[in-house]
Amino acid sequence: MTEKSQPIEHLVKELEERAKELNCLYKIEDTLNHSDISLEEAFNVVIDAIPPGWQFPAITKAKLEYKGQSFKSEGYIETPWFLKSNIRINDEPIGSITVNYIEPTRDYDEGPFLKEERKLLNTIAERLSHFILHKDTYSFIHDLDSIRGISDGEIKHKWQVILDMLRKTDKPLFNTIIRKLLHNLCWQENKEAQELLKEAGVERETSDLSEETYDENKPIKKKSLDNEEFVESVLRLADENLSDDEILAKLQKWIYDDKCSGLVKTVETLETPLNEIAEALRKYYPLLSNGELSPSIEKGLKVSLLRRFFTDQTEFISIAKDFVEIKDFYELTDKIILPSKSYGKLGGKSAGMFLASKIIAKKARESELFKNIRIPKTWFIPSDGILHFLHYNELEEVIEQKYKEIEEIRREYPHIVQIFKNSDFSPDFINGVSVALDDFGEKPLVVRSSSLLEDKFGAAFSGKYKSLFLANQGSKIERLTALLDAISEVYASTFGPDPIEYRAERNLLDFHEEMGIMIQEVVGTKVGKYYLPSFAGVAFSNNEFRWSPRIKREDGLVRLVPGLGTRAVDRFIDDYPILIAPGQPNLRVNVSLHDKMKYTPQNIDVINLESNEFESQKVERVIKETGSDYPNIRSLISIIKDNHISQPFGFNTDYDNDHIIVTFEGLFQNGPFITQIKELLNTLQRGTQNPVDIEFASDGKDFYILQCRSQTKSKEIQPDPIPRDIPAKKIIFTANKYVSNGKVPEISHIVYVDTKSYYNLSSREELLEVGRAVSKLNKILPKRKFILIGPGRWGSRGDIKLGVNVTYSDINNTAMLIEVAKQIGNYTPDLSFGTHFFQDLVEASIRYLPLYPDDDGTVFNEVFFRKSDNILEHLLPEYKHLEETIKVIDVTNVTDGCILKVLINAELEEAVAFINEPTTSSIKEIDAGEYVEWQPSNYWQWRYRMAEKIASIIPAEKFGVKGLYVFGSSKNANAGPGSDIDLLIHIDDKTADIEKLDLWFDGWSKCLAELNYLKTGYESDGLLDLHYITDEDIKKRTSFASKIGAITDPAKQLRIGKSEAT
Amino acid sequence: MSDKNFNAYQMAQTQFDKVADILSLDDATRQLLREPLREYHFSIPIKMDDGTTKVFKGFRVQHNDAVGPSKGGIRFHPMETIDTVRALAMWMTWKCAVVGIPLGGGKGGVICDPHNLSMREQESICRGWVRQLAKNVGPINDVPAPDVMTNAQHMLWMLDEFEVIHGGKYPGFITGKPVGMGGSLGRTEATGYGVIYTLREALIKLGIDIKKTTASFQGFGNVSQYALQLYTQLGGKAICVSCWDQKDQTSYTYKRDSGITFEELMKITDKFGGIDKEAAKKIGFEILPGDVWIEQKVDILIPAAIENQVRGDNAVKIADTVKVLAEGANGPTTPEADKILAEKGVFVIPDFLANAGGVTCSYFEQVQSNINYFWTKDEVLTKLDNIMSSAFDSVYETSIKNKLYMRDAAYVISISRVAHACKDRGWL
Repeated sequence: MTEKSQPIEHLVKELEERAKELNCLYKIEDTLNHSDISLEEAFNVVIDAIPPGWQFPAITKAKLEYKGQSFKSEGYIETPWFLKSNIRINDEPIGSITVNYIEPTRDYDEGPFLKEERKLLNTIAERLSHFILHKDTYSFIHDLDSIRGISDGEIKHKWQVILDMLRKTDKPLFNTIIRKLLHNLCWQENKEAQELLKEAGVERETSDLSEETYDENKPIKKKSLDNEEFVESVLRLADENLSDDEILAKLQKWIYDDKCSGLVKTVETLETPLNEIAEALRKYYPLLSNGELSPSIEKGLKVSLLRRFFTDQTEFISIAKDFVEIKDFYELTDKIILPSKSYGKLGGKSAGMFLASKIIAKKARESELFKNIRIPKTWFIPSDGILHFLHYNELEEVIEQKYKEIEEIRREYPHIVQIFKNSDFSPDFINGVSVALDDFGEKPLVVRSSSLLEDKFGAAFSGKYKSLFLANQGSKIERLTALLDAISEVYASTFGPDPIEYRAERNLLDFHEEMGIMIQEVVGTKVGKYYLPSFAGVAFSNNEFRWSPRIKREDGLVRLVPGLGTRAVDRFIDDYPILIAPGQPNLRVNVSLHDKMKYTPQNIDVINLESNEFESQKVERVIKETGSDYPNIRSLISIIKDNHISQPFGFNTDYDNDHIIVTFEGLFQNGPFITQIKELLNTLQRGTQNPVDIEFASDGKDFYILQCRSQTKSKEIQPDPIPRDIPAKKIIFTANKYVSNGKVPEISHIVYVDTKSYYNLSSREELLEVGRAVSKLNKILPKRKFILIGPGRWGSRGDIKLGVNVTYSDINNTAMLIEVAKQIGNYTPDLSFGTHFFQDLVEASIRYLPLYPDDDGTVFNEVFFRKSDNILEHLLPEYKHLEETIKVIDVTNVTDGCILKVLINAELEEAVAFINEPTTSSIKEIDAGEYVEWQPSNYWQWRYRMAEKIASIIPAEKFGVKGLYVFGSSKNANAGPGSDIDLLIHIDDKTADIEKLDLWFDGWSKCLAELNYLKTGYESDGLLDLHYITDEDIKKRTSFASKIGAITDPAKQLRIGKSEAT
Repeated sequence: MSDKNFNAYQMAQTQFDKVADILSLDDATRQLLREPLREYHFSIPIKMDDGTTKVFKGFRVQHNDAVGPSKGGIRFHPMETIDTVRALAMWMTWKCAVVGIPLGGGKGGVICDPHNLSMREQESICRGWVRQLAKNVGPINDVPAPDVMTNAQHMLWMLDEFEVIHGGKYPGFITGKPVGMGGSLGRTEATGYGVIYTLREALIKLGIDIKKTTASFQGFGNVSQYALQLYTQLGGKAICVSCWDQKDQTSYTYKRDSGITFEELMKITDKFGGIDKEAAKKIGFEILPGDVWIEQKVDILIPAAIENQVRGDNAVKIADTVKVLAEGANGPTTPEADKILAEKGVFVIPDFLANAGGVTCSYFEQVQSNINYFWTKDEVLTKLDNIMSSAFDSVYETSIKNKLYMRDAAYVISISRVAHACKDRGWL
């Protein structure tokens, strides 16, 4: 313990020193970002900001010299103990900045100064030179403006004066402008200009080659645009054809664009690490913030920035680019913890949040309703942070974890968590986190995963990865340690069994998953010893859980809880969030007084600032303790008295003695909540062109959005026609409430967990065994051909008696999950509502159906379940003792070749399952696998599979091929409709027959291009992009060979020869 | 599906016929009493929130008002049938008659599912219901009360509509109102206390000193809680209580031989009558399986939870020490168990009588509303004691005199009271 605390204390001391420096730098940054500040003012601020940033502020003085002027701290004197740095523009020193100690101290790195102080001073000098450069540019542009202003007829051809000036000072820019002028004239269909362009464009060689033999593939020689005659012609034409005003306006724009070209280049170069992009944004920000970038350049920049920070997915980019501004990225970069060379992205969750916040900000400009909608303060760690972490701790082998058997992964996961939690972060990284922590202060934090796969369009990884709450109280060391610990735990969750199973299931296992992290301030206020939001919850555009036929899908659904939103996201036994459909706010799930009392939040998640922990408390207790201090309490609660429920008003609430329950009645009835959330869901749905799913919280005053992603969409689902003439003896069960549309394939097996027998199991061990047996059956039985029927809430966390203890990976192969609410004594189990589990089912197209066999008018053929042969013993002999509880029925076997057919019609609120002949070919079933492939988000899947196919059939030996790899968009799951398939072909340079190989691949390439054209309408000559590499290349890691085994975006090796995958 | 299904009305009539045979009632009386006196069927058109209009079916059945204004609840139920309402109205007649309060039996309802209705729409239905029946109900005709899916709020809407139509204040029109809005104090305690008032009387008749008795309670909801409170106040020793544990989804029996006090147990009990298991352990309770409450060596068993709890299979386990079984719950004893109890010589206070404290308190609410003067809780409970005690006496006398099982005696007395009233009025 002491051993470990020593270096930490030292580290903190160092960090404090860094914090001083950073403060100094921030102060300077802050000032210099105000473009309206004068040079003089700026210099004075810098001079004042320097001393507190140095090790001995009391004896630190600074002096700044610029163009003969001199700015000094009070009491500045020249001493032998100084640091000096030049301020340069275009490598020319134009001034300097000097820091002096006015008294001697002991020596450190550079005389009495630290090496970090040298760095800091250089940074300040560099920053100043940017600032001066911008000031110059401004004055230049300003001059242009004023020239424009006075040019009205008074002084002719003022623009020529500018051009003359440019010609002398900035030749490249001058040339660019001349070329642009000419292009402009051509677009205006000026004949002479077109002639001029033609002439300028191609200079025929003075050879005697005739037109006919002119080789198209030969590069065209460019004529220099530099000659006097040409320039003069352009200028003359411009003068003749364009007005002075027009020309001046254009000049201003082009000069401006040119100034920004550096940023465009930086952002568009894929090799630029994120920190350099951030630096470039900072550098160009003053220019961008009040400039008028031409729309095309601006759009291009936005797209590139979106791509670099968030995703390559065109769906996302095409939507987001209309909502974001470049300044948004500038602000974003301030809140990113960057490892020194990061090429990562911020991940799905961050992307969703970023987009949502911009859509809302846009809307807020026109609607009062959105004025108090906010986003909590958030810091981001890019996705490759996890790779740096693995690398730093030499844990790379963990990446291959995902290819292990799920049982093995499950077994090893706890160890991985421990290993991660006991690993170190690089000092760089710790530094970054420390800065973020200073920014947050002692506000409680939540560390959320934001992986690349998570929240992608079309795949919701809801709850698969961890989110951790931190009270963030105590000394800086304690808080920092806790935060780092949480980050490592979130990292570890990438390798947990559930996400891996889920990915395997959706063919995403080979996707190179990286984990970004969001560190978010917890929305809330301090009430007594607790820290909590007034309320929080989740809201969905589409209501997939309708408790009344009057509620339509598009009426949406909100799950609300007091305190932290964890209880709205997760599901718990004996605790219930308040549900409301914003489109039908007056139709409540619970109507009777008893139900209102029962189905109300019983517990509340809070952060206890005293114990420094996230904890669950009884709602009743928290309300008693906090009373009217609880934010907005009156909107949350109702009082029950004499069989009567009423809202608090006046002084009628006695928080100590009244029977108080949470109903949110006040919130629903008074104030804008319902309208706001409805409008919010609509706006976000329109903006993202997808139904959305948001997490939110309110501190009692403002409404915060914590997360936004596209809501799981199931495919077009049509209600099944339900025949009225099914013979009663063939019906196995019927349902008449909570029916949601969906197609169920023909069922060959039923796994039935008998309610009574399950409840009668005497030990917890036996109850757990049922879950394990189901898990094994899930692996053995034919996928999507069996259904699970069981009592209560499948997979409920906590009390096992309420339902079979399973996680999603234990049931993921079923076609349908059926929960049975059969009364036992006076108790009817409550079935599950829309939760993580439920969404998993929707994502996987697993149908969910609740059955209420005690209801009138329903059929539940218990005899069939009881009397049919139970094949459990044959499948899993080790669970024979559970055969009274678990019945596995081979439908085909017990019904002479029939199957179980389930028909669902939500419009009629009816579902029926009956024994039927298997469907003959007359009704064509769409193969779900095929169907999925045509979804836009699956362009890559098809490409990836084709690459596998090619690998499986290539005559490798004959062609001298040693290996085949796929990389780029097809591997990274971000291919668009026009993307090609990048293949690396590892050849034996002695035996390989490139000619034959080319021919062979060309055939494939053309065929695939044709297929792609038929699918998407994108035409191309070939779809394959081939790169041959040799042993030598791999050894030297030259060009594309470096993709093999690269840390970021490595190429994936394909299996050569016949494989099961095809 | 209709003939196979259980029909409540047919069952109520069969039950009546059995007692009519015992009483040797004449045909005209049988005919009058086995069917309702009046039925109202009507439509309530409602403007829905979405602008459409929907028509709901409403009912009111007044089974018999020979002894006084009809009294009975209003049910909002999507699967409501007129036969159910008829049966319930008839049961109300007998229930009021057994305790001898001057009220007849009625029941009403609307076919609707409140899950599909906004509060405003429900309010419209309540007001629509009253508009259709304003002339036929009222403090001196027919007094509604809350029932399935209706509560105090619905009653207040109905009362308001009634008063608007009649241009005056008639708080006695309806019961189940909150205190301060025409409700009565003592309502919470009424049923539980009623059970103990009858028990106390029974013990007196049996010559047992309540102070020397011990009791076991099933359930710890409203009824059981106040029964236990009064029982221990009267000097009895409650040694065990069983109740459902929501967290463990099972029931437990909490036992302490040294006795249980109401105040102590309430401190560790939630709003739904669930006892905190850990806290109970701390204050010296043994935690036993939920069904052992019935096997305890006590003098008195009070099943006050749900129906069908005393059955053939567990009635045989009842200890020889048990002398009285007071039915706090509705229908806790199956016919099979009834036989066993009779053989064992256990004195049964039938549910019909034992838990009539609730309806009696509703009567008090109506009386207080009519005179527009509200009693203290003590006054209410004292009056309740009087009514329950004399009701018990009458049933007991009848049972002794006519050698009837207590359950049959209760029916006999109530039906004969109603029959008498009809005859006295010259109807028959």
